[in-house]
Amino acid sequence: MTNKDIALETLAQIGKAGFSDASARVIAEEFHELQAENGAINLMRTNFETDVGITGIKDQKKASLSVNKTDDDTLAKTVANLSDMARGASPDDAYGIAEKQPVETFDAGPVEPDYDRMYDRIVEVQDYAKQKYPDLNIGSVAITFGNRRSVYVNSNDVQFESRRGVYRVSTMFTSKRGKQTSSMNYFNYSAYDLDTPVQDMVNADALMRQSTEQIDTSNIPGKFSGDMIITPNALGSFVGFLTGKISDGALISGTSVYKDKLGESVTSDKLNLRACPVAEGVSSGYWVTGDGYKAENSTIVENGVLKSYLLGLYGANKTGLPRAMNAGGCYQIDEGETDLEALIGGVEQGILIGRFSGGNPNDRGDFSGIAKNSYYVKDGKIQFPIKETTVSGNMVSLLNSIKAVSKERLNFGGSVLPWVLTDGVTAS
Amino acid sequence: MQIAEIDLSKYSNQYSSYTELRVHENRLLNIALLNGDIVSNMQNTNGGVSARVFDKGAWGFSSNPNATNDSIETTIQAATRNAEFLAKRSGDPDITLPRSQASASSDSNTQKPRKTQDEIIAFLKGIDVYVGDHCPDIVSRQVVLNCLDMEKKLQTSEGSSGHNTNSRSIVSVKLTTRNEAGEPIELSQAIGDRGQFEDVFETPERIHAAVDEMYKHLMNKKTAVKPVSGYHDVILASDLAGILAHEAIGHTTEADIVREGSIAGDYLGEQIASELITLVDFANSHNGEILPMPIYMDDEGVESHDAILIEDGVLKSFMHNKDSAQHFNMPLTGNARAFSYTDEPLIRMRNTAILPGKDKLEDMIASIDDGYLLMRPTNGQADTTSEFMFGVQMGYEIKGGKLGKAITDTTISGVAFDMLKEVTMLSDEMVWGCAGMCGKKQPMPVGMGGPAVKTKVFIGGE
Repeated sequence: MTNKDIALETLAQIGKAGFSDASARVIAEEFHELQAENGAINLMRTNFETDVGITGIKDQKKASLSVNKTDDDTLAKTVANLSDMARGASPDDAYGIAEKQPVETFDAGPVEPDYDRMYDRIVEVQDYAKQKYPDLNIGSVAITFGNRRSVYVNSNDVQFESRRGVYRVSTMFTSKRGKQTSSMNYFNYSAYDLDTPVQDMVNADALMRQSTEQIDTSNIPGKFSGDMIITPNALGSFVGFLTGKISDGALISGTSVYKDKLGESVTSDKLNLRACPVAEGVSSGYWVTGDGYKAENSTIVENGVLKSYLLGLYGANKTGLPRAMNAGGCYQIDEGETDLEALIGGVEQGILIGRFSGGNPNDRGDFSGIAKNSYYVKDGKIQFPIKETTVSGNMVSLLNSIKAVSKERLNFGGSVLPWVLTDGVTAS
Repeated sequence: MQIAEIDLSKYSNQYSSYTELRVHENRLLNIALLNGDIVSNMQNTNGGVSARVFDKGAWGFSSNPNATNDSIETTIQAATRNAEFLAKRSGDPDITLPRSQASASSDSNTQKPRKTQDEIIAFLKGIDVYVGDHCPDIVSRQVVLNCLDMEKKLQTSEGSSGHNTNSRSIVSVKLTTRNEAGEPIELSQAIGDRGQFEDVFETPERIHAAVDEMYKHLMNKKTAVKPVSGYHDVILASDLAGILAHEAIGHTTEADIVREGSIAGDYLGEQIASELITLVDFANSHNGEILPMPIYMDDEGVESHDAILIEDGVLKSFMHNKDSAQHFNMPLTGNARAFSYTDEPLIRMRNTAILPGKDKLEDMIASIDDGYLLMRPTNGQADTTSEFMFGVQMGYEIKGGKLGKAITDTTISGVAFDMLKEVTMLSDEMVWGCAGMCGKKQPMPVGMGGPAVKTKVFIGGE
């Protein structure tokens, strides 16, 4: 049986069990990995993975189950279990499944891994780092290749099939000289090919160089309130507050600071934020949402104005607000008008933050955390790497205080992000 | 086929070099109520077989979701081919792993009749109603149940074998109110223990008591004051001491992190903390009590031992797997664990704790003229430098030796190897937490614990 056959057969069984609305998703993935630790490639992995996820709604009571077996016996037991789970649930009119859409298939990326290229790229970046940055230790570098086939069907005749083959690269590194150790740092990205050396991707060379600089850190001159340049590697921590607070949980509970803000200005007009799971070249995207809708790219914030919430079907039905065109992620921030050099040059006093290690912001957006792999900036120049420096502020205010966005952006395979200059941050 | 019925010993003739063969299944139940509505009602079962083979310093790994005879054989063959591929390219014939032979079996399955889904949902709805009735001044409530069973059967080419199941059941409650300015103020807490739902939540009383306590603190937090930024005398309550033990110190003493450059690598045998501090990663029990995450044999077939990391302030040892024990020429500790059947075992903590002292909490509070009692963390992160950060969602001022006003959410930070030298008092209470989920490459449930700790930390703020 093909995965589509399994999905359709499972869907039929859910229907026979009395569910009025049902969906089934079958995923099969071949996963390959080469991993190096402390300079030696020491792990080669081949995994075969399967996932079957089913959802059923009966009398407006909903249940979901997932298993990773596709044999008849397991699937029959799973459907029976779904009935037991739904029986105890509470009815809710907001439950639903995606409406009928045209049948579509999607395909991207290679089918097979190029193990020689994977091996060579790992050796290459390790040799590069060893030669150029002798104090740097790449504790781990892994290149994986996953070829994932997915089928989604539901009882409204929705049928989507997709396949994506993608490489993912992840690293973690530290620098050490005598007893002095730098803060650890990392970079990750995905791509359809390995044509570009690892050290030439996502600012990797600069991050490795900075790691060796960060062996010797200094305290900032004193507590101050000033600017913060957020690097693309750290930007996700800050954008994540906004995207989290416009999603199902925060909007349904009514605790979101962005409640009733659709169409209103919520950030500086310099910010344009989009969710682009199906954009050209996005290798970590998706074509179908978890609710069974074909995903489209969407604009979340345009010139500072909130254009779209990130509500799924349940959240939309529950709040009466529009369903989002995708399930979020793959965030892209439009390039700005300022060269990175000029952006740094405009800072009187501030922090260039390379990584944010912070507590989860509270519902109001208050945040506080450590500026890791970061630098003190004074009079338009990067001065020195900093240690034990806490940055604090409010996420809502911070996003409203964006003064400039760089022309330069980094493409991580899913997200594409620039450097962002904001102010009103307290460093201590 | 059930894991118990699978005989792994019959594949031993297929091993060409050191091999671990594991069948492994994780079963997760997640039910979430948001303001009384069920927003999640799901189960996930994920399992299969994996093999890991060692050849001349290189590991080959393979896994398959089907634990049939054929797939087990092909999984061993694939892992063996992978190890041979790497051994030919970059193998080192001089690397040999320390040997081990152990056997262990443990079973966390309840002996009581299993609750139906209806009954479990009814229990959670009861909690939700209790929250609604007893917490009148809230604007939002969440009640979330997570139950996890991890069942593993292992056979190694050195003759280790075991069949172990670990379970834990956690109810998380989040309450949100609004202050006078209309801003949301929240507090959350995880309540639970090792074991399956029937054993952990026989009655709801312990959750009711936790909700009552939370609500009292939440009401205090409505009029909270901002803490003053800077270094302060503080008392870290046991919840924070546990996360300190795990994040800030524990990770730096995992031998793979030491190899990557952790600061701990340079201080073995040296005084790095106050003499009051003894910190242990317990394998499975302490003082006759079975701990939140009992491990009797790890996923490399090594009998699990307690790892005494700091004793009377002196850094004594690291946590190891076979790779690191070979590299450092140190004894095995049995810390290698894998989260899923698709994962290789990594060095993971089990039950990490600072041991208690002799002080009374009230005396510790009375000893501080101007400082803070920090009670409940949100999240925590640490670094190879031992620099740590924890979010704090609940705490109080201490003024003149007495508790004052509640404080707003904040972050504390410091360098653990410096901060531990500032410890001057430890309470005589030992509290264990069971809800920890460590995120080092793979997720992993862990236990952590400790007493209340008096020290100095940096408090973030404006």
